Parts: sequence; structure tokens; C-alpha cells
Amino acid sequence: MPFFSGDIFVSDVYKKTVLDQTGEEIGKLKDIIVGIGEPFPPVITLVVTAGGETYLLPWHLVNLFNKRVISVNMKIDEISPAQHSPSDILICRDILDKQIVDINGAKLVRVNDLELGDVKGKLCLVAADIGLRGLLRRLHVEKRGERFFSWFNYKLQNKLISWHYVQTIEPKVARLTLKITNQKVSSMHPADLADIISEVSQKERTAIFGSIDVETAAEALHELEPSVQVDIIDDMSKERASDILERMPPDEAADVLGDLPEAKAQELINLMEREEAEDVQELLEHEEDTAGGLMTTEYLAFPPDMTVEEAIKELRLEAPDVETIYYLYIVDSDERIIGVLSLKHLILASAQTLLSDIMITPAKTLSLDAKKKDVAEFISKYNMLAAPVVDENMVMRGIVTVDDVLAFLLPTASRRRKR
Amino acid sequence: MLTKRNILIFLSVLGPGIITANVDNDAGGIATYSVAGAHFGYALLWTLIPITLALVVVQEMVARMGVVTGKSLADLIRESFGVRATFFLMMSLLLADMGNTVAEFAGWAAAMEIFGVSKYISVPIGAFVVWLLVVKGTYRFVEKIFLIACAVYFTYALSAYFVHPPWGQIMLDTVKPSFELKPSYLMMLIGVVGTTIAPWMQFYLQSAVVEKNIKVDHYNASRMDVIVGCIMTDVVAFFIIVACAATLFEHGITITDAKDAALALEPLAGKYASILFAVGLANASLFSASILPLATAYYVCEGMGWESGVSKNFKTAPQFMWLYTGIIAVGALIILIPNAPLIAIMLISQVVNGIMLPFVLIFMLILINNKDIMGEFTNSRTFNVIAWATVVVMVVLTLALVITSFL
Repeated sequence: MPFFSGDIFVSDVYKKTVLDQTGEEIGKLKDIIVGIGEPFPPVITLVVTAGGETYLLPWHLVNLFNKRVISVNMKIDEISPAQHSPSDILICRDILDKQIVDINGAKLVRVNDLELGDVKGKLCLVAADIGLRGLLRRLHVEKRGERFFSWFNYKLQNKLISWHYVQTIEPKVARLTLKITNQKVSSMHPADLADIISEVSQKERTAIFGSIDVETAAEALHELEPSVQVDIIDDMSKERASDILERMPPDEAADVLGDLPEAKAQELINLMEREEAEDVQELLEHEEDTAGGLMTTEYLAFPPDMTVEEAIKELRLEAPDVETIYYLYIVDSDERIIGVLSLKHLILASAQTLLSDIMITPAKTLSLDAKKKDVAEFISKYNMLAAPVVDENMVMRGIVTVDDVLAFLLPTASRRRKR
Repeated sequence: MLTKRNILIFLSVLGPGIITANVDNDAGGIATYSVAGAHFGYALLWTLIPITLALVVVQEMVARMGVVTGKSLADLIRESFGVRATFFLMMSLLLADMGNTVAEFAGWAAAMEIFGVSKYISVPIGAFVVWLLVVKGTYRFVEKIFLIACAVYFTYALSAYFVHPPWGQIMLDTVKPSFELKPSYLMMLIGVVGTTIAPWMQFYLQSAVVEKNIKVDHYNASRMDVIVGCIMTDVVAFFIIVACAATLFEHGITITDAKDAALALEPLAGKYASILFAVGLANASLFSASILPLATAYYVCEGMGWESGVSKNFKTAPQFMWLYTGIIAVGALIILIPNAPLIAIMLISQVVNGIMLPFVLIFMLILINNKDIMGEFTNSRTFNVIAWATVVVMVVLTLALVITSFL
């Protein structure tokens, strides 16, 4: 087994002398061939040149590999010149100095150096060095650079991008693309994603939205400024736009649609699934800044004559589809609200109790046309997580959750993103 | 074929070639041509035709590389010749172009002084205007402004018209090479030819072609852009030489720079010729004071792999915008320092340019003949002979210019 220790920068071994087992010089290290490996490509062959000839030394015959000595378990007369195949990936030729672009195609920096490291006992390409230190190392002035910066009390750090984030490589690529796409962008919190999206240009935004899954897109879209939302929806195919809108809570979808031109909004609603479309349609009829416009139509409603046990069973089925499960609303057969029950009350009550026996009545309700400011005050005053919204006949129409008005309760600066 | 479609394609592609070639007639270029006309009359006119050809040969290759690869020259050099070569090339050229920018602001200050504007007013305003243009403008908009600047060069045609030169003799001198073995003539010849090709031009042209996103299908139009630009540039040079030859040479007046020429024209050829000459100088200087920092910001960022482009802003391409800003600010400030060693600065930049030019041109020839990079668009064998010959001649003359500048 080859013996290597720690992390090795390619620039430290590049053009180093390679020795055979008797200590005789074979040539200089010219390149390193890596194999296909996820996520880190393993070193498979060393390319060594001497006097115009190229020798390929397989990795399993390498004895020592570090920045001082490279040696192989072969005798020099056992080695004959060879050519690498066109499909091989040579890291100095194919990766070093190449442009790195992010997922949007925006240039970031070039690969200044490459780091090899131990991955489960194998030497693999683990990171691209994109920092100033890597650049100085390539220029052979790393130590001097370090001293120079230490005068300014600045410690020169390595700036590495893990190979994790780099798209699989092919021979002779024009540029390296970071795959902060599906895998990486989606694993970010939607709010962070939204922050990135609001930084980039419109073209790049469309590209990001095209690359992430519908669920994430739905969550991220909601976090953006209305004007940005409109731009993004405009740029997307109608089918994808309606898919994303379907995945959003109806109140948020309605907000986005409310900012679009009416014809376009209607077109998208028509493409949505019927149930979601109806909810959104209803919400769109209310003024945006009233309880009717703020509310979501997804909430938990139960008849008064249900037992606690049945209710909990029902709750389990419905919970995935609703925004908040902390309140259960008790409605009669005409959907008029007669009481409310918190999740805590429900869980603490004995199984056979009827909901009507433990509900709090009358429920505090908001009217459809209550102003946003009043809604916020109402929720804050009663310390609620959500407030039910009813029409003039006390028929329950939806709920406004605290996060819909939270921004309104906070000081101005922190609510910029949420209108 | 001159179809409507082809004309439209040409108009959409036009820009990088014309702009780059015209900036060749910067403050220094105008000074050289003015002195050539004033001291040697029409005797150097014939050099303009070979100069045009050499310029076309070199610039066509970089435009071709930009169109085919979609990468800039600095990109290709870094990827093919590694970080060390790139780094030292970039740093040297940064120094040289910094010095050139100082020279452009000096030209702008001199031209404005003809109109009685103090350099303490003209230089800050000029610097601010070109800074704002690139920082706030998009590529398309900035290119339009630059093309208008190119059109202003024709003030020299009017200037030459006002001096009523003997057109018959001029035409003859333009096509008939003449040669004198006087040292002063040879030095002037080297001066005129040696300023023709500067390294920044190759970088700027290729970057502009890339930022403009010109496709291979439109390559013919792009080549036309280069050719038209080179011809236009030397037609302007022609008029500068003619204007100075018909007046200053006839009366035996010696000058050292373009400002002298403009001032000397007034009693001989009238106020308009003089004013037009000065307007041309002011325009050329300010135009170049924008393009040179721009070219520099392009190649440094591309070599390092940072985002670059006129259409970007401080947020999306911070290094690019700060480099551009810094070069303009330093260039303008040096002019405002009393007793700054301007001559020494310009000399250093000329020397560095001269030393770097062979590297740039040879890198360029290696790259354009690389099939992995250029595919079927490598040079043909005949063109290679022409290109290498041109490059050798230009390199020799540029180095000769460096040497003569110390004499």
C-alpha cells in the first residue's frame, strides 16, 4: 500500500522527482490521473516524464507519496513508456487553472491549487483551493507571502471548496460548475435561498428556480418580495408555475396571484387542481390587507359531538395538509363556529369525552374585513397562534396564523422581506 | 453578399473591432502622427498601408479566438500556460496600462488647456464621466457611446480639409514607399510603426467580443468589424499626418506633441482647423482613458477567474469595478500632482509594453493553432506564414522603439 500522510497540495508534488525502489530517478511528476469516484475521485495513476518520454505508474505500486519524497515499488528497467488514454482525467491538465462557475454560470474564481487527502484509506482529490494562499503557493512564494501578510497581522488562510460541491468532471472540460443545484441549494433553508435569489439577476433567478424541486420552490417563493415573485412566475412555464402555486399554502399563493395581472392569474388558477384553485379563488376575492386576504382556508374543523379519541384519529389524518394544528375549531352542520379547543386540551382530555364538553365557547373571532392592524392587535392581545375568521353569519371561512401578521408586529427594519 | 440580412448582422456585431482599432489613435498616437507630419511631410504616409495590414492580421486572430472559444485571451493564457506566466504577464501589463492611462489623462488635460480649461477642473470631470459611464452603463449602452467617440475622430478629416493640401501628391506618396537612411527618419519610422500594436488591444478586443456574445455563425461580420476598424484608424492617422504636413512641415515648424500641433495650426490654417484638431485630441484621450482601464480590469479579472463585464456592477463583479475605478483614480491623480515625473512614467509603460508584446503575440499564435481550442478555426498554413512574419516584424520594431526612446 502506498504510504502517504495528511493532506497534500498538488503544487507541492508537481515536478517533484520520482524515485524507483533502488533510489534511482525515474523522472518528474507531471500529472496525476484520477478515477471516477463519488464524491471524491481517487488517484489511480501518476504521470511521470523524463527526457521526452511519458511513464504511467499505477498508484498501487507507489511506495511513498509526500512533498519530500515520491517513490515506487518498481525497478527503473521494469518501466516502459506509455500513453494515457484520451478519456483519462489528468488533474493538472484538466482541472488546475480552470474557471469555477456557480450554478448560475456566474464566474467565481479559478482553481489555484488542488488538495489531495485521505478518504477511507485512499488518496483522493478532496478540494479545490481558490484562495490567495493557493495562488502564492503556485508562484512559489507561499512562505514569503505569509510573512508579508503577518506584518499586517493577517493570517493567510487556505480557501478550499470541497470536491463535494463540484460537478463530476470529464476530460477537457471548459469550466467547472459547482453543483450547488438540486442537492445543495435544496438543502438550504428556504429563507436563505430566498436571500440568495434576491441578490442575483433575473435570468439567474429563473435558472435557480428551474433547478430546484417544486416543494422548495414553493417555500422560497413565498419569502421573496412581491415584485420578484411576479418576475419569477412570469419567466416560468405556466405548468410549473401552477404546480408551485398548488404546493403553497392557499393564502400565500393568493398573495402571489394577487400581484399578477388578472388574466395571467386566472390562467394559472385554471391550471391548478380544482380544490386548491377554489381556495385560492376565494381568498383572492378579499382585500389583501384584511383578515379575508390574510387568512388561509386550511384549518381543522370538527363537529361538537365527536369524541376526543375520534378527533385525535382524525387529526392524524388531516395534520399534514394544514398549516397549524394547535387549534381545533368546533363547527355546526352549517359550518358556523361554536367553539375552539387547543391541542393541549384535546390531548389532556380523556378519550371518550365529547368535544362539546371541553371546548371553549364562545370562540374569539375576526370578521372577514378586519384590517391587518386590528388582526395583529387581536392575535397579540389574546396570545393566539391563530385566529378564526368568520363571515356575517358566523360561518367559519379560514384562519389567520400569527406568522401572517408577525412582520406587522415587529419593528419596520426587520419586515422588509415580508412586505 | 451585400444583402439586407448581412448588413443587419454586421450592424449587430459591429463595435469591438472598430473601438479597439480607434483607441490605437490615442493621445500618444496622435502626437506621433503629428510629429511625423510636421517633421517629415508626406514621406511617412506610405507606412500606413502596411500598418493597416499588420493590424488586421493580428486583430483578426484575437477576434476569431473570442468568437470561437467564447473565452477571453487572459482565460486562454491562464488555462494553457499556467498561473505563473499569467500572473507575471498580468502584473506587468497592469503597470504598463496604468502608465498609459496617465498619458491619456495628460492628453485630455493638454487638449482642454487649448480651450483655456485648467487641468484641475478638466481632469477630475473627465475621470468622473468615464468612471460613471462604465460603472452605471450596460455593455450595449457603453459601446454606443464609444462608437460615437470613434465618429468624432473625423474632425481630423475636416482639419485636413481646411488646410487645403496638395491631394495629388499626397495620393502618390501614400502608395509609393520612400526611404531615407537618416537616423531621425528611421527613428520616426520606428515610432510610427512601433506604436501600432500594443498588448492591451488584443485583450480588450477578445474580451469585448466575448462579452458581446458574438456567435461563430456571425464570424464573417465580426471580421468585417475588425477590418473596417483598422482601415478607419489609419484613415484618421492619414488625415493627422496630412494636416500637419501641409502646414507645419511647409513652414518648417517643429513640434513635440499634439498640443503644439493644434496651437501651431491656428495662424497657418485658421481657427477651425486648430479647434477641430484639439477636439479630436480631447475625444481620443478621454476615450482611451476609459478603454485602457477597462481592458486592464478585463484581463486581470479573467486571469484570476473573477466575474467581469461592463454590464455588471459592484455587487456582481466587485474586483472588476474596483480595478477600473482604481486605475482611473490613480491615473487622474498623478496628472494633478505638480511636477509628477510624467515622462518617466510614460517611458516605463512603453518599455514594459514593448517587452510584453512578444509574449502576448507568441502566446496568441500558439493558442490559435491549437486544435483542442480552435477546432477547425486554426490558422491556415499560408496565414500562419503571414502571421508569424507580421509578428516578428512588429516585435522587432516595437523593441527598436523601446531602445530609441532611451537615445
